[in-house]
Amino acid sequence: MAKLTVTPRTSLVDEPVKIHVSGLAPSKLVTLQASLTDEKGVLFQSRAFYQSSESGEVDLEQAAALGGDYAGVHPMGLFQFLKPEKMFHRLMKRDVMQSPFHVRLDLFSSFHLVSTPHDQPVTSQTVERWHVAPGVQRILIRDGRVRGALFLPPGEGPFPGLIDLFGGVGGLIEFRASLLASRGFAALALAYFGYEDLPEILLEVDLEYFEEAINVLLRHPKVGGPGVGLVSISKGAEIALAMASFLPKIKAVVSINSTHALHGMPLRYRNLHINPIPYKIEYIRFTPLGLMELSNMVNVIHTEESQESILPVEEAEAKILFIVGENDRNYNSKAFAEKAMERMRRHGRKNYRMLCYPGAGHLIEPPGSPFCHHSWSFFFFRPVVWGGEPQSHVAAQEHSWKEIQKFLWQHLHPAGSSRL
Amino acid sequence: MAKLTVTPRTSLVDEPVKIHVSGLAPSELVTLQASLTDDKGVLFQSRAFYRSDEAGEVDLEHTAALGGDYAGVRPMGLFQFLKPEKMFHRLMKRDVMQSPFHVRLDLFSSFHLVSTPHDQPVTSRTVERWYVAPGVQRILIRDGRVRGALFLPPGEGPFPGLIDLFGGVRGLIEFRASLLASRGFAALALAYFGYEDLPEILAEVDLEYFEEAINVLLKHPKVEGTGIGLVSVCKGAEIALAMASFLPKIKAVVCINGTSALNGTSLRYRNLHINPIPYKLEHLRYRSMGQLDIYDTVEVIRTEISQGSILPIEKAEANILFIVGENDRNYNSKAFAEEAMERMRRHGKKNYSMLCYPGAGHLIEPPGSPFCYHSWVSMFACVVVWGGEAQSHVAAQEHSWKEIQKFLWQHLHPGVSSKL
Repeated sequence: MAKLTVTPRTSLVDEPVKIHVSGLAPSKLVTLQASLTDEKGVLFQSRAFYQSSESGEVDLEQAAALGGDYAGVHPMGLFQFLKPEKMFHRLMKRDVMQSPFHVRLDLFSSFHLVSTPHDQPVTSQTVERWHVAPGVQRILIRDGRVRGALFLPPGEGPFPGLIDLFGGVGGLIEFRASLLASRGFAALALAYFGYEDLPEILLEVDLEYFEEAINVLLRHPKVGGPGVGLVSISKGAEIALAMASFLPKIKAVVSINSTHALHGMPLRYRNLHINPIPYKIEYIRFTPLGLMELSNMVNVIHTEESQESILPVEEAEAKILFIVGENDRNYNSKAFAEKAMERMRRHGRKNYRMLCYPGAGHLIEPPGSPFCHHSWSFFFFRPVVWGGEPQSHVAAQEHSWKEIQKFLWQHLHPAGSSRL
Repeated sequence: MAKLTVTPRTSLVDEPVKIHVSGLAPSELVTLQASLTDDKGVLFQSRAFYRSDEAGEVDLEHTAALGGDYAGVRPMGLFQFLKPEKMFHRLMKRDVMQSPFHVRLDLFSSFHLVSTPHDQPVTSRTVERWYVAPGVQRILIRDGRVRGALFLPPGEGPFPGLIDLFGGVRGLIEFRASLLASRGFAALALAYFGYEDLPEILAEVDLEYFEEAINVLLKHPKVEGTGIGLVSVCKGAEIALAMASFLPKIKAVVCINGTSALNGTSLRYRNLHINPIPYKLEHLRYRSMGQLDIYDTVEVIRTEISQGSILPIEKAEANILFIVGENDRNYNSKAFAEEAMERMRRHGKKNYSMLCYPGAGHLIEPPGSPFCYHSWVSMFACVVVWGGEAQSHVAAQEHSWKEIQKFLWQHLHPGVSSKL
């Protein structure tokens, strides 16, 4: 009698799940399939074909998948390679507090591709995958101009504070901040456009808004000071580097796949106004699959004119961790990070370091985000390619997530010990 | 006043088209867009962004595209990189005699991506692209069991004869045969399953059917000689190698991305019955859009059992030209061609040669077929990845088409120089 064991039943998305099948005939071909329906009702699925051992077992920690959405030994492959039924849709948990993702694992005897009434699973198990740990508190922030959600770990605190910034997707994205709070940080997910009464589109980077956000965060009794961290990606990371260059009270910056200059829209901070390097839309490329590749739109090679747009990161007091995916198709993140570090080096600064992941794309997110090679852009009304090779990318997500936490503990917490 | 010149107004799909723009301002950014609607009403489009020179001109023979569906100097890029609005749709001319493809070229000032009522082309030109030359005759063949369409060049003849075989795509595909007739050959497009009263699916390869087809072709008064050629791709090429191994009257075989053994379907010829190597479905892989990559489902490494399914190609009298795309994702075409040639070599045969194209995928077709990386296969009810890198693939199509004609003339009509 075939038995499917999936443990634990409830976990955080950055925790591993053990999947074990027993009670099969020896060398039997089976299919394991994972299904999840997101908050918009879009079905995500993955499947892999395994052959049972001589004892009739399949243990995903040891057994190699023969094919399907991945091959080889990938204990978390069914989670990492979930694909949407609706093309170009990206998995993103919006309501992190009220509900988890429910992931159903199905075991099918033999090779199973398309679900039909005649081809039912032998057995199934459903697990919960949460983006927030028990006891984490969420506080909606509407303080002055600042709009966001502050996640606090359970307990009295104080906790090291950080601001979490996403990129061109806009709106309020909470899932990384909620996970960081689950790992001990007071994390403010900050919106800056496309949300409530904030500007609909990002026409300029108003650094005073971000300065207000730092002060809102530090004001909270459970947030320990005197400075904060920034965890940021894409356009958010460009803003984070600008913040670190011009604003005080920033002690650590995690910059994931950023540029090193202002692109597309100007920056304003009190009397300072910096012009951007314009996007070169005529260099946009369409891949053979019709995806939009933006990497040539954001220039790396600089002219004399563009010098003033380069961020003066040498002014940053903060420690900066650059995380880059070498297969980023949104921009040449590695070249940008190297230019930023070169600039700091030339000014005698040493407060930087880089983690470079070959094969990783633009969307380096916490574990729990399935590999997303491309997704729909409402701005360009086309799918945009993020890049990455599946297995290298998910490995980069696992590794960088641990490194991000170590880095933040080291530079935000006085004693510097990691909670890992 | 901007002027767009596209010449000639009417041409065969394997002939070049000159595109020239004049009357622009110097260094003006423009978009050139091509549109075509196929026999099923599906829109195909391509676009590229160019900057005019100091004389306000853009000449696609010299000017490099900055971005869009291709970059660099690509005089035929707008034709080669047409993409379907309906995803996974493949461009395939079905009715070759009655109508051409009408391709409309639009010139837009500045960067143009999405068509709106406010963003109209400055000027447009439409050209005709035909799969059949004036004077080519099409004769529907229903002779005994044989089903197909025979294309004859204009004139008295006789002409060297060939049979054109497509692969797993069912039905009767005529566009390559019609082009070959336009280039001087009596070309029989032969259906073998999924057409009229032929078997709905290909359960076995009945070589006597193909022998009848050879005799039908040679019977025609305008077909010369005592032997014919075969032009074949994919499953058709597997069948063509089987024909060359067992049947007489074959003088030249063009084998595009075929295998060297019987895969999936058995073969029958009189008393002979050969079992196939089964497909290993458990090794299929899903790609980022859920497309199927079947590369590992077709066995490359031989077992004792599978030895019996390898085609005895050393028995072929015909000259064989293997054409291989190194980036074929359907199977390892290169390994199969090399296995076949090695087998011939071991038997002291020298009647083979290979053209190997790095970066080319499975669907190496005549020029006129836009690069197709993947497409819907109704037989499998899924999207299959064919492979290939865009620019290498279209270059391989251009080069191989000329080589195929040279090869056929050399071995079917010796003493007469190529009609190129």
